[in-house]
Amino acid sequence: MSNIWKSVKLDFSLVKPYVKTICFTMILPVVFAVINRSLLTGISFAMCFIAMTTGYTFSVTEKNSMERLYGILPIRKSDMVIGRYIFIIIMGFTALIFSLITHPVVLIILGESISMFDYISAAATGIFLFALYTVFQLPGYYKLGSIKGRVFMYIPVAGFLITLLLITRIPVGESKLLFAVIHSPVLLMLLAVILVIAMYVVSISVSIKILKNKEI
Amino acid sequence: MKLIISNISGIPIYEQIKRQVKSAIMSGDLQKDETLPSLRTLAKELKISVLTVTKAYTELEQEGFVKNIQGRGCFVLGQGSELLREQLICKIENNLSEAISAARVANLSEEELHHLLSILMEEKTDE
Amino acid sequence: MNDYLEVRNLSKSFEGFQLHDITFTLPKGYIMGLIGPNGSGKTTTIKLILNMLKRTSGEVKILGFDNIAKEQEAKRNLGVVFDSNYFSDEWKVSQVEKSVSAFYENWNTQKFSEILERFHIQPSKKVKELSKGMQMKLMLACAFSYDAKLLILDEPTSGLDPVSRDELLHILSEYIEDGEHSVLFSTHITGDLERAADYITYISYGELFFSGGKDEFIDSFRIVKGGREELSADLSKKMLGIRNFSTGFEALVKTEDLKQFAHLNVEPAAIDDIVVFTSKRGERYE
Repeated sequence: MSNIWKSVKLDFSLVKPYVKTICFTMILPVVFAVINRSLLTGISFAMCFIAMTTGYTFSVTEKNSMERLYGILPIRKSDMVIGRYIFIIIMGFTALIFSLITHPVVLIILGESISMFDYISAAATGIFLFALYTVFQLPGYYKLGSIKGRVFMYIPVAGFLITLLLITRIPVGESKLLFAVIHSPVLLMLLAVILVIAMYVVSISVSIKILKNKEI
Repeated sequence: MKLIISNISGIPIYEQIKRQVKSAIMSGDLQKDETLPSLRTLAKELKISVLTVTKAYTELEQEGFVKNIQGRGCFVLGQGSELLREQLICKIENNLSEAISAARVANLSEEELHHLLSILMEEKTDE
Repeated sequence: MNDYLEVRNLSKSFEGFQLHDITFTLPKGYIMGLIGPNGSGKTTTIKLILNMLKRTSGEVKILGFDNIAKEQEAKRNLGVVFDSNYFSDEWKVSQVEKSVSAFYENWNTQKFSEILERFHIQPSKKVKELSKGMQMKLMLACAFSYDAKLLILDEPTSGLDPVSRDELLHILSEYIEDGEHSVLFSTHITGDLERAADYITYISYGELFFSGGKDEFIDSFRIVKGGREELSADLSKKMLGIRNFSTGFEALVKTEDLKQFAHLNVEPAAIDDIVVFTSKRGERYE
């Protein structure tokens, strides 16, 4: 465990010089939330944005040929990978918390009302979308690196557009199960959490396998 | 003790070390029971291989000039050692035969040569 | 444990290149030079040792630990210097310590700052502001701060000026002085090794040419020189490499064959001569 934590800290030190840029990125979704007058779209947009920055750790590593540093440190490859996932989840979580505070404040100032349900469904969607983006992105970055794997940076954009489409078109009334889930915050949250965990477990094991077979 | 390594002499470095240690012992620069510089320190200071110094020291030991005591260093056995004495005698013989050859070329008689030797000996004792 | 690095029958196949059956041993307390022309397989060998490349077959033990099965233990007391630095260039030197030190249990912060001072590296400088020589010293400073027992350097002197190269050699001979540390040093600038190395491992075209004592290596070859009319077909056969020019020839021969060349001008060979002449003969590989 301690090695994983060290690895998280190392990743943080990689991204540290770019923290300002990343924070700035989180301002734009607020604007988006304002234009759309919707917490759900604002949060979705925010998670899409933050997911686009997960490539930073990979870019910095690649730019400085730091895979050689990772190659000589006395740490298991699986610990490195898990550490990176945790770091990226922390990034996403921070962005989510930030957005879940700023967006409602701005929306309320503008006279919108936000119900508890809106709030929880936005949070659940945010978590789910971020997980969905990153579980594909990270193995992609591990496999191809951040330059060749640039295409993975745009997964969130595509995902975001699809989400926008879906949000307006889901035929909620037709499926009882979906109806039940969507109208029960507990079930919604539970479903999101289980799905997210399952996705990460698969994604992490794929990434570990890729890194173990990678030649530097 | 002075130790200088030449890169261009063509003589192997271990041989250069050996020669200089030997001449230091013969000239009295290195006294009996004095230690030679530590192997690894010498290698570091002369920027040469540890193995090169090891070879020089081992051969010096085999030839009876020094004694290597594990963990304590390399001790000079002193001029009294039998082997060193033999080598010195050998050196004297060589030098004397060279003197004789030179004397022949210069047409110096045996008496004159003896005389020359006595004069030189006297000068040395005067010092 | 007396051998800090053991490489046995190490092989690796790439497309168009093969490293074949490399075996050598580096005992504790000594410096080994890994030499060979560019592209001969030095870096491949080092990357295989570090498990950055997957070996096809063979075995590697670092400080007694298998480099794959016990990778973490093997790397705990291992220091590595590459030809360019592997830190983020945005990091300050102090940040380098923060980022790396956590991974080593016996990291000594005081020692790190002492070494920085000795190397004249300011902790407030960014990595990218350091010269190439300074960056190399920073990698060394890290390795010394956790008292790495084995130091592996891959072409550390390429791109360094003579002053920095000399400094490096001095640092390394100091490092092994206590007899408890070893160095594996790959380079194509063999002048660096001529004096300081204890052992030589020479890889040529992916094959092991020689591994053993440096003095023995240099002593087993001689350079002979003569006029063109002195060069017979019989003699040429015994030569490992030859350079002809209008007024004569120079060739590398084995010391054991020296009797046949007694009539020629014989000189001791430098490591460079040995590498150059033996590689030329290897032209048939191309």
